[in-house]
Amino acid sequence: MSALIPFFVILPLAGAFAIPVFSGYWKNMGKVLTPILMLMLLALSVMFFFRDSAVFVYYVGGWELINGVPVGIQFVVDGLSVLMLSIINMMAFFASFFSISYLKKFTGDKYFYALFCLMVAGMNGVVITGDLFNMFIFLEIAVISSYALVAFGIEREELEASFKYQVLGGLASLLVLLGIVVLYWKTGSLNIADISRVLKQEGSSPSLLFIQILFIAGFGLKAAMIPFHAWLPDAHSSAPAPISAMLSGVLIKAVGVYAIMRLFFNMFELTYEMSMLILVIGTISMVGGVFLAIGQWDFKRLLAYHSISQMGYVFLGLGMGMVILSVNGNKAVAVMAIAGGLYHMVNHAVFKGLLFLNSGAVEYKTGTRMLKELGGLSENMPLTSTSSFGASMAISGIPPFNGFFSKLLIIIAAVQGQFYLMAALAVLVSIITLASFMKVHRYAFSGNLRFKDLKKFGEAPFSMLFSMLVLAGLCLLLSLLIIPVFRDIFLTPAVNDLMNLLNYSQPIIGV
Amino acid sequence: MMREVYIIIFLPVIVGIILYAVPRKYFTAKGIVASLVAAVSLFYSCRLYFTDGGMMNLGLGQKFFSEGSQMHDLLVQAESFTMLNVDSLAKLIIIFVGLFTLLVSVYSIGYLLPRIRPRSFFTYVLITAGCSNGAVLADHMLLFIFFWGILGITLYKLIKGYNSVTAAAAKKTFILIGASDGIMILGLAILWRLGYPLSISAMSVPTTSLITVIAFVCLLIGAFTKAGAFPFHTWVPDYATHASASSSALMPASLDKLLGIYFLARLFNSMFIINDWITLAVLVIGVSTIIIAVMMALAQHDYKRLLGYHAVSQVGYMVTGFALGTPLGVAGGLFHMFNHALYKSGLFLAAGHVEKHTGKHNIEDLGGLSKVMPLTFFSSIIFALSISGIPPLNGFASKWLIYQGIVEFGQGSGIANQLWIVWLALTMFGSALTLASFIKFLSGIFMGPLNPTYKTLREKNYFMSIPQLVLAVICIGLGVFASGWVIPKVIQSVSGSFSYIGFWESSTVSLLVLISIILGLVFYLLLFKKNIRVEKPFILGEPNDTTSSFHAGEFFKTIWGNSFLNSMYKAAEKKYFDIYEISRGTVLGISKALSWLHLGVLPVYLIWIIAGLLVMFIIFL
Repeated sequence: MSALIPFFVILPLAGAFAIPVFSGYWKNMGKVLTPILMLMLLALSVMFFFRDSAVFVYYVGGWELINGVPVGIQFVVDGLSVLMLSIINMMAFFASFFSISYLKKFTGDKYFYALFCLMVAGMNGVVITGDLFNMFIFLEIAVISSYALVAFGIEREELEASFKYQVLGGLASLLVLLGIVVLYWKTGSLNIADISRVLKQEGSSPSLLFIQILFIAGFGLKAAMIPFHAWLPDAHSSAPAPISAMLSGVLIKAVGVYAIMRLFFNMFELTYEMSMLILVIGTISMVGGVFLAIGQWDFKRLLAYHSISQMGYVFLGLGMGMVILSVNGNKAVAVMAIAGGLYHMVNHAVFKGLLFLNSGAVEYKTGTRMLKELGGLSENMPLTSTSSFGASMAISGIPPFNGFFSKLLIIIAAVQGQFYLMAALAVLVSIITLASFMKVHRYAFSGNLRFKDLKKFGEAPFSMLFSMLVLAGLCLLLSLLIIPVFRDIFLTPAVNDLMNLLNYSQPIIGV
Repeated sequence: MMREVYIIIFLPVIVGIILYAVPRKYFTAKGIVASLVAAVSLFYSCRLYFTDGGMMNLGLGQKFFSEGSQMHDLLVQAESFTMLNVDSLAKLIIIFVGLFTLLVSVYSIGYLLPRIRPRSFFTYVLITAGCSNGAVLADHMLLFIFFWGILGITLYKLIKGYNSVTAAAAKKTFILIGASDGIMILGLAILWRLGYPLSISAMSVPTTSLITVIAFVCLLIGAFTKAGAFPFHTWVPDYATHASASSSALMPASLDKLLGIYFLARLFNSMFIINDWITLAVLVIGVSTIIIAVMMALAQHDYKRLLGYHAVSQVGYMVTGFALGTPLGVAGGLFHMFNHALYKSGLFLAAGHVEKHTGKHNIEDLGGLSKVMPLTFFSSIIFALSISGIPPLNGFASKWLIYQGIVEFGQGSGIANQLWIVWLALTMFGSALTLASFIKFLSGIFMGPLNPTYKTLREKNYFMSIPQLVLAVICIGLGVFASGWVIPKVIQSVSGSFSYIGFWESSTVSLLVLISIILGLVFYLLLFKKNIRVEKPFILGEPNDTTSSFHAGEFFKTIWGNSFLNSMYKAAEKKYFDIYEISRGTVLGISKALSWLHLGVLPVYLIWIIAGLLVMFIIFL
């Protein structure tokens, strides 16, 4: 199976180059090819869930280890990577399928699909590579194509957002690169597993702390943690809706959360200070994001701020797990916290992606995304309204939707680990989240019927509806991940790979 | 027992989901299907009542999948979470859940006009019924919270936000309910942390340390918000005003009360061992709920809002009853819960009937409808007298138990016990005020001269009339047979046996009341009828031609004269006391303050990032 790993990068990369080249011959090439490619990738990643071995390693170019030291680049697929791959490619499929109708309002859709494939290739690359510098390259591929996609509308607002995003994103890349450089100087290796072996022999030192802080700032900026979040509301609200869904749904996870998880669990040794730092930043983001979100009147901006807040939940879960592990606390609680964080990340991809698609459908039909200019849309677009309600319930943590269970895990883990303040804040944030989505529904979907011409302002076209309804169904279906057997297939391998350093490094460098 | 439980939980939910796919134009057909399902569910609830009960497992694994299959193993692992507890309290409550679902479904077939009809109304009614049954039967706390949370969604879905006011009411309702659910999870998590079994029947937590008290308060907030007790009640009046009468009759008037008070009963009687201070605090909340809400009800002009405030006020009696903690108090609270659900949903159904026929919301615009809507008038009298605690109706029977409970409670030695006379006085005072406001309701809507535009009205819609009459008959029946059959046979099987000092023989008294009414009629017909003269309304000898000259509301203006009450009413109208508005203001204030920091200026954002980086360096290096 390990021979299949490079296809996660090859397929979208090939698509990215083929689409602009051959679009001259066949106009609909991007429209047709991209969803098919993404579906293939999705099938491939789901296949890896039912794998027979825990970790697969692919040696790029056939460069095997020399004396136990990796010299080439390795692609590694373990439980966490599979989880990430499946949410990336799943959201990529739905977003690209949604785009078929959505892009009718734009020109130059071949560039859109090319950039889209490139972004997916970058994200897939980030989560499968076992090499730190290679990760940086893929990260740049993903974010640079996202800079272009944010500016895709080429109006004043989009360009401004994209510019801010580029400047701040460039700063983040710089910090990450600086971190990698110092780490290379210190350890003489770029392979994550190999670095972790070297670091284990060396023990802690100030320069190591320096690197960790650089990584937290750099990847934290990509993951939009407060105070590094300022680019996100502009970028995510200006991009075309399927791109917003990709950015909020998976990009900030693949290049932000995933990188932090991988590096801090599997490369550095967990220290109490860094774990606390991640926990505190997560909590601040969770609380700050939601307070900023509830005051917004722009539908997509509100959603964008919620991404900050929900990523805060993810970091809260992971951070609690890290703190407990670093002080050798109760392992069961740590498992629960980390599983809660990962579970919430999966759920967030689905419901936030869906919410952005909803906002896109609303904007597509009505031409506005200001909540005060909308109203009574449940009459115009009953199915969009229903799917949006499902996603709102999921993000607010109302049973039987998936968000309820992941928040439940996080809150229970917080109380079990005696993080009482965090638990209370998580509940408070959940309530304010509910309030702000009730605001969306009160102004956009219920209330006075603003768009009286039901024919003109009717339901969204099929490709949009299909994506939205399937995702809404997933919001319900993912609740099943709480049941032990499903959890063992999808979540537990990822949790185990995070908790046990050896799970990851053993198959790669044999130590 | 297994089969009954499956049917009452899953049948309504499944049929509800199927009905969701049926187009809107088959509304009547959907209503008939829903009513049939509700009837089947009621039948099986009754059958369940006569089984032995006890603990059981939902056992989805064994039920649907063969031994050894993967799905079987999968569901067996989840089985500790699906324990159900079929005890006498649960069995009693699910009968009422079935009854109200049936009556409201039938009523809604005739009542709901497209404008106020929520999308997929019957779907949510049926899901509500199934999930209520599930919540009542659930023994594991997580399963309970799961069902309980779904009820918040259906509550929200049963009010249609067709304009900005109704949409705001729906939003407020769901935010308060959802918030309380979140807080309950916190309470649950604390109990889990302390190592208590999360089974409702096995839990017995002493409220001696701060942390258990916090857990108790968290769970209590959930029960209070659902039932609508002060200070978490503020969604009830809004919901009652703006939702359709069927929705109000189903949720805030009956099922939410049943569930909220059910959970309160569990909290007080099995899950926690209550200390004296909590008893005192809850009693204070109980009586203040009674008085505050009834004072607000007195000042209302919209009759549905008036009923909404009474739906809050009556909760105070139940809370008081359960807070006493004695079998007598529990019995009173429990009996009052059932009685309240009966007459309050009846009142909402009657109000909906009036609203549908007249289209008016204000008491002042109506009058004299007794002549054209005799059935509604008759049932409203029964409900109104019952809620005001007039013997021999059921409302009196349960209030009598609560009064007796307070008197008996006064013999104890705790600080709350010493204040028994206060509780007694306030509960009785609340009852008097209830009567006062229902005189306004009855006389304003049904008495006085009839507006000529309504002369042609006829009560022909039996879908709407029959449920009201059924409820009225049950109200009378529970009252008349209270001491002979209902309390000893039904209520005591749940609350434990007790005896009380105040002698009350309901059947005999009912007979006496009946005889006196008949005697009165006889005297009236024989002696006074011919001496009565009917005149047109006049003022100072001059004829007064205003169409609805009988302003029942005018009599209640005197309470505005009191300067203290006046200022309180004004503040309440501005929603200064509404916990929702207070929190909303706070949150939006913080939000505004934070958004001042987000200017959209790139250098500022860069400075934050550098500052964040520097702070981290300074702390750690």
